[in-house]
Amino acid sequence: MPALGDVQAAFRDALLAGDDDSAAAMVLGDGLTPHARLQIYRHHVLTSLTVALKATYPVVCRLVDARFFGYAADRYIRAHPPAGPCLFEYGGAFPEFLAAFEPCRHLRYLPDVARLEWALNTAVHAEDAAPLDPAVLHAVAEEHRPRLVFRLDPSLSLLASRWPIDRIWRVNQPDTDPSLTVDLASGRAHLEVRRIGNDAVFRAIDVATHGFRLALHTGRCLEEAAGVALDIDGAFDLTRALQALFGENLLIDFVLSPSNMEREG
Amino acid sequence: MISDGGRLPGAPVGAGIGLRAPHVGEVIATHPAIPWLEVHPENYMNGGAALCALEQIRREYPISFHGVGLSLGSADALDERHLRRLTTLVERVEPALVSEHLAWSITGGAYLNHLLPLPYTEQSLDVLCRHVDQAQRALGRPILIENPSSYLRFRYSPIPEPEFLGELARRTGCGLLCDVNNIYVTAHNLGLDAGAYLDALPAELVGEIHLAGHARNEADGQIVLIDDHGSRVASEVWQLYRGALARFGPLPTLVEWDTDIPPLAVLLDEAGAADRLIADARVTDLHAGAR
Repeated sequence: MPALGDVQAAFRDALLAGDDDSAAAMVLGDGLTPHARLQIYRHHVLTSLTVALKATYPVVCRLVDARFFGYAADRYIRAHPPAGPCLFEYGGAFPEFLAAFEPCRHLRYLPDVARLEWALNTAVHAEDAAPLDPAVLHAVAEEHRPRLVFRLDPSLSLLASRWPIDRIWRVNQPDTDPSLTVDLASGRAHLEVRRIGNDAVFRAIDVATHGFRLALHTGRCLEEAAGVALDIDGAFDLTRALQALFGENLLIDFVLSPSNMEREG
Repeated sequence: MISDGGRLPGAPVGAGIGLRAPHVGEVIATHPAIPWLEVHPENYMNGGAALCALEQIRREYPISFHGVGLSLGSADALDERHLRRLTTLVERVEPALVSEHLAWSITGGAYLNHLLPLPYTEQSLDVLCRHVDQAQRALGRPILIENPSSYLRFRYSPIPEPEFLGELARRTGCGLLCDVNNIYVTAHNLGLDAGAYLDALPAELVGEIHLAGHARNEADGQIVLIDDHGSRVASEVWQLYRGALARFGPLPTLVEWDTDIPPLAVLLDEAGAADRLIADARVTDLHAGAR
């Protein structure tokens, strides 16, 4: 009698690796081959997860066509099955997978388009968060403010691409005029993606603002983030940039960076 | 919350529908006359529009949570993060019922997105009892466990499925969710007698019934029924449902539809058909009580 864990490991091999032998030996044919019975389960697992990926990556699917998408999804699912049952969290590694997937490596912009779609998916499903009231900053002495580390809206992503992925995304919406084209040489994209109300939206932002917000979003303190922005654009105005963050409800919380607390201690 | 006599607390005794994303807006806008709604909690373990809509709907309808992700039959430990998320959502939405499946989907950290079959052994029963116990303690309430639809049998699986379910319920205090379509599909695919299966379930422990459509596929010249929830309830399944009501008495019943989801009116129509049979069963129940 095989142990339950061995049965389940054999099923995983059969469903994802296509190695049916151990599982087939545990299963009755009942008029079919055990392989045909396992195939019913495999078909459901692969098709349902392909549907989930297609829902998250509709523009990628449109760019490569549904048949190629199905082929890429099959390979991806077998190599990167979901880690948990909430399928809106599934597919985060798909952009990197596409970047390394030989049959579509010539579509150099494709992984970045996928990153934009993943950022939109993340924005749709991010936890709700209440914006920070600017008044709470009055409790922080002026000399400590450079060491502020902010937590930004959990729905926010900042993307940079050498390809015009915003335009690629827009001309590949179901209701867009099919005669529209994209000039791949038409420029880079610096995008901010977030949820506003119930909608995931993105917009182009200037390079210094992008650098500033990305630095903050990755946990760097206000002084360091301002330094990043000033290196990009010597005219960067920190006061206005901070006002904009509050005005757009992008700040959720803050702490003082550890070096500051050490100084205080 | 309405409960039915001495049974487990549950949804109202009437026919509800599985609420799926394409119908959420219409349900909020039109308030269809339906006694209760069932959702998959996994679709609401996030922020944003989905949870916001559910918060709105729960104020007007009793909600049932029909989980697909706990993987109670996994030899591995339960996914504690998922159980915590479920617990948080149950506290927030306060569903009338919580149910899960006699199945597994997680092994070695991979979630296989299918309600996969179990060999019915003493070891599996121990695993199920442990996990149902853990889930019920975390949620602070009994849950219902649904019989799966099966496409295969294991060579070594000595305990018949309805007995396995009955023993699980007796040992853990959970109730049973009798999916009549699953019984029909499993019985056809594995050469069992659907009526005998129904008779072998402990009637007093069944707290909910599920109905759905199935597809007929051909594999190597043999018809295999696929539980795709993609059509109206088959006439043979309605027949079996009548038998279930006769045996279990009137129970909360749910119509599920997940593939090629039709207009809401079609689901309401199916639920209406189930409601008429529940009403008949009530009359029979009253007569039996009067004798």
